Amino acid sequence: MTTALRPTATAAARVVDAVKTYGAGDTEVRALDGVSVDFPAGRFTAIMGPSGSGKSTLMHCAAGLDTLTSGSAFIGGTDLSGLDDRALTLLRRERVGFVFQAFNLLPTLTVAENITLPLDLAGQRGDREWIDALVDTVGLRDRLHHRPAELSGGQQQRVAVARAFAGRPDVVFADEPTGNLDSRAGEEVLRLLGSTVRRTARTVVMVTHDPVAAAHADEVLFLADGRLVDRMPAPTAERVLDRLKAFDAPGVTS
Amino acid sequence: MNAALRLSRTSLRSHKRRFAGTFVAVLLGVAFLTGTLVMGDTLRAGFDTLFADANAGTDAVVRSTNVVTVAGEGQGTRQPVPTALATRLSATPGVAAAVPDLQGSGQLVGSDGKPIGGQGPPTRAGNWITDPKLNPYRLAEGRAPSAPGEVVVNRGAAGKGGLKLGDTTVLRVPDPVPVRIVGIATFGGEDGMGQATFAGLTLGDAEKYLAPKPGEASSLSVRAGPGVSQQRLVDALTPVLPKGVEAITGKAAAAESLDMVAGLFLDLFTALLLVFSGIALLVATFSIHNTFAIVVAQRTRENALLRALGASRRQVSTATLAEAAVVALAASTAGVLAGIGIAAGLQALFPAIGFPFPAGDLVISRLSVALPVAVGVLVCLGSALLPALRAGRTAPLAALRESAVDQAGASRTRKLVGGALLPVGVGVTVAGVLAPGLLLAGTGALLTVAAFVVLGPVASSYAVRILGAPLDRLRGVTGALARRNALRSPRRTAATATALMIGVAVVSLFTVFGASLKATMDQTVSRSFAGDVAVGARQFGAGGSGISPRLAPAVARLPQVEAAVGLGKGVADVDGGGRNITVTDPVALTGLLDLGKVEGSLAGLGTDGLAVSANEADKHHWKPGSTTRLAFTDGSERTFTVRAVYAEKDLAGDYLLTREAWAPHRAQESDTLVAVSFKDGVSVADGKKAVERTAAAYGNPTVQTRDEYAKSSASGIDMMLTLVYALLALAVVIALLGIANTLTLAVHERTRELGLLRAVGQTRAQLRAMVRWESVLVAAFGTAGGLGLGAFLGWVLVRASDADGTGAFALPPVQLAVVTLVGLLAGALAGWRPARRAARLDVLRAIATQ
Repeated sequence: MTTALRPTATAAARVVDAVKTYGAGDTEVRALDGVSVDFPAGRFTAIMGPSGSGKSTLMHCAAGLDTLTSGSAFIGGTDLSGLDDRALTLLRRERVGFVFQAFNLLPTLTVAENITLPLDLAGQRGDREWIDALVDTVGLRDRLHHRPAELSGGQQQRVAVARAFAGRPDVVFADEPTGNLDSRAGEEVLRLLGSTVRRTARTVVMVTHDPVAAAHADEVLFLADGRLVDRMPAPTAERVLDRLKAFDAPGVTS
Repeated sequence: MNAALRLSRTSLRSHKRRFAGTFVAVLLGVAFLTGTLVMGDTLRAGFDTLFADANAGTDAVVRSTNVVTVAGEGQGTRQPVPTALATRLSATPGVAAAVPDLQGSGQLVGSDGKPIGGQGPPTRAGNWITDPKLNPYRLAEGRAPSAPGEVVVNRGAAGKGGLKLGDTTVLRVPDPVPVRIVGIATFGGEDGMGQATFAGLTLGDAEKYLAPKPGEASSLSVRAGPGVSQQRLVDALTPVLPKGVEAITGKAAAAESLDMVAGLFLDLFTALLLVFSGIALLVATFSIHNTFAIVVAQRTRENALLRALGASRRQVSTATLAEAAVVALAASTAGVLAGIGIAAGLQALFPAIGFPFPAGDLVISRLSVALPVAVGVLVCLGSALLPALRAGRTAPLAALRESAVDQAGASRTRKLVGGALLPVGVGVTVAGVLAPGLLLAGTGALLTVAAFVVLGPVASSYAVRILGAPLDRLRGVTGALARRNALRSPRRTAATATALMIGVAVVSLFTVFGASLKATMDQTVSRSFAGDVAVGARQFGAGGSGISPRLAPAVARLPQVEAAVGLGKGVADVDGGGRNITVTDPVALTGLLDLGKVEGSLAGLGTDGLAVSANEADKHHWKPGSTTRLAFTDGSERTFTVRAVYAEKDLAGDYLLTREAWAPHRAQESDTLVAVSFKDGVSVADGKKAVERTAAAYGNPTVQTRDEYAKSSASGIDMMLTLVYALLALAVVIALLGIANTLTLAVHERTRELGLLRAVGQTRAQLRAMVRWESVLVAAFGTAGGLGLGAFLGWVLVRASDADGTGAFALPPVQLAVVTLVGLLAGALAGWRPARRAARLDVLRAIATQ
């Protein structure tokens, strides 16, 4: 499997020997069991795996939302394990973007305000041209002063994508960004993520359980039982599906 | 039914925190009410014991039936009885002893030269009764007075004034009398009769200083022979008594004393406390209602699921009401216990700070327990009723809907009703004030308050937008978020703020009313008082003994003094009603007090003329030349001619009589005020010093300049206001609990949103600030509404209570600014805990919450 690893000059984010356990003693659960992985800059990486494989935990720890039990996580050159809550918060604000499955937007803020929320929290103006271009990319110029409740699910996710990229973060983490959307709206969001990565050399890490969504990525990582079990460059939906089916067959997982 | 109860039980168990605020609100209100009732009963019982002790050995009291009582001034002034009657009664069968009792006012001066007591509890002097069974005081040290100038003082007074056995000091009766302390006495084992001071003189001294004429006593105390009951004694005495003299049992005399204290002070005190516990409970009602409304809204999906599964409306409503009932019962029970604790604490505290409260066990009647519990349960159930009915009306389909958060704005009906109510309320109030009608003004005020409550949700969105406008600029996105959160549910914001609004309104009402009263007094003094200094200005609740009537002539003889006139106090019955009479030199008075427009002449009152205020003259349809009959406390009745009618009565009183006219009818003589003016070229400071030197020989009463006099006249109002603020603090605390509770529920409801904010980079400090600012905004809205409402109601109260239209209306800027600041700070305080809880939120759990 190591043959699949391409040497990259810089990793936008990476984890080394990541272990995350919950509980203790008999009830201990190892959500991550020694995972080392680089998320190369300028690439769109998808993480897949069956439920409970640790894919969400991996994302949360890599993004600085959760802390590792042992091992380390890096955003660029910054070791997250040494940071306190405040430093982690500032790091998320300035260097990381998020797209969640649902409830991505604050209902009290307009679309425009939601997009610039991380910048506003930091008290920065941000790069107006960049944000302007983003608004056009996500195609919401005529909705800027609407409230989230007035938008469709797909539109809301597109606002979330714009918000995630607004501060030109090192890496954007997307957690099942299409999980609540119908296939057409989902397709639009995925294409948006993909095209932004390619056109602007941004980095996206996406957790998904949908092979069609994963096919939009440059590479798919497969997790099972808290370990990295496979990587698939240039994925297609069929190949991903086939690979996933293999997890169901006993004895193949490790 | 069982299912409904089971539901409420599990719900209560899993949402304990949500009801914590409700619990505390009910607890505080009920505790206040219980404390008030228990205190009232305990005080009454304490005074009961006190008077029973005072009359313990007295089986009958013989006294005149002629008494002049001025409305609102206690027991009244009774005609004396002849001392010689005691000798005759002693010979009556069934009587073991009969002694004269001479009672009067006498204030002791302490070793530091300052008078002892005089801030409310009586300062008494009397003859030392040698029959130990008829004397409630017992000698603890020394002996009874036997020579002129010898006194026994009660241990409490001796302690306060630093007086010891053998010391010489001065007794103001109000003429200063040099006395030597030969005995220290106790009262029923205590240091004194409550906080009252007592000086016991020889019978001769008492007759000389306290009785209007020699040979007269206030009353006679009679002790029954062995085996003779109090009633039998009274029956035996009655036939031998001259006309106009009666005998009552010792028990009846004690009961009368108790009624007097109750009427003067106890009932008022209890009523005042009851009003304030009522306000606290009203505020609690709003905040409890709000809590239940929010809880029901948050539980919409849960209730809808129940309805979808077949629960009836009634079952869902009952479950909510049952929850309220459990919280109410638990909180009320705790509140009753806390209230008893408060009463016990106050009972221990009050004597330490010099309040005149007698000792004794706490009296906990069945009513003081049952009533607060009933009120607590009623308030809680009443507040929960509407939310419970709303819960029952939940549509089963609501279970499938996404948002369960109540975001309702103000309804059209509300706007219409409120919009109509406000002008009607204000209009009726103003009409009631302009064409004096207390009922009309009161009704209008109530309507106005109701309009404010109804319009709250309408006003909240505008108010928060305006009040919060500076926040965006000051605090950036944090401020903007706080403002929009406060705007989210106008109804909820308004309901939360209403509790504080009521509290702040009452505080501002009293602040405005107090300031206006002070301004009125200030105006009165500066308008009516034309002198340079005043001696012995009346202060709030001043007991004391007044000023020696010989001081004014002495001061008038000083070279610096242009004029000095004393104002004494008398009572007489005019047209069947007791009236206070000012005894003075009316001609000299006109130079020192401005009596306004005078019809007729003050010069020729003589011994059969009187001057009356225009107010009183109108009431009786008198003009100069009219005649009226005055009945005095010496039993005589005389016809007087009205010789003058004057306009300004604020300092002079309603009736003026010359000293010559009053002399035959006088009781213990004393002046309440001596007004002094200086000759040209004499500075106020020099003149004041000279008057003070003279006054020192007359028991050392206070000498005040005009300004000091005006200020001290108003100082009582500050004391009252302090008390009122202390009592209102509880209502404000309950309102704050309401804000804190609403915010806690809101934080709970916004868990995911807060998680998102934290994920995209809101620091904990920013999040805390956001919640706190929301709290401050809600408080600011409540405070603003309260200030407006309070100022309006204050104006109404000032105008409605001022029939003459001479009073001033004042909006004290400093005090109102302090009220505003306290409101805002309180908001920040209320938001503190919810903010901390919100900041402690685990980001991952928040975004994972589904």
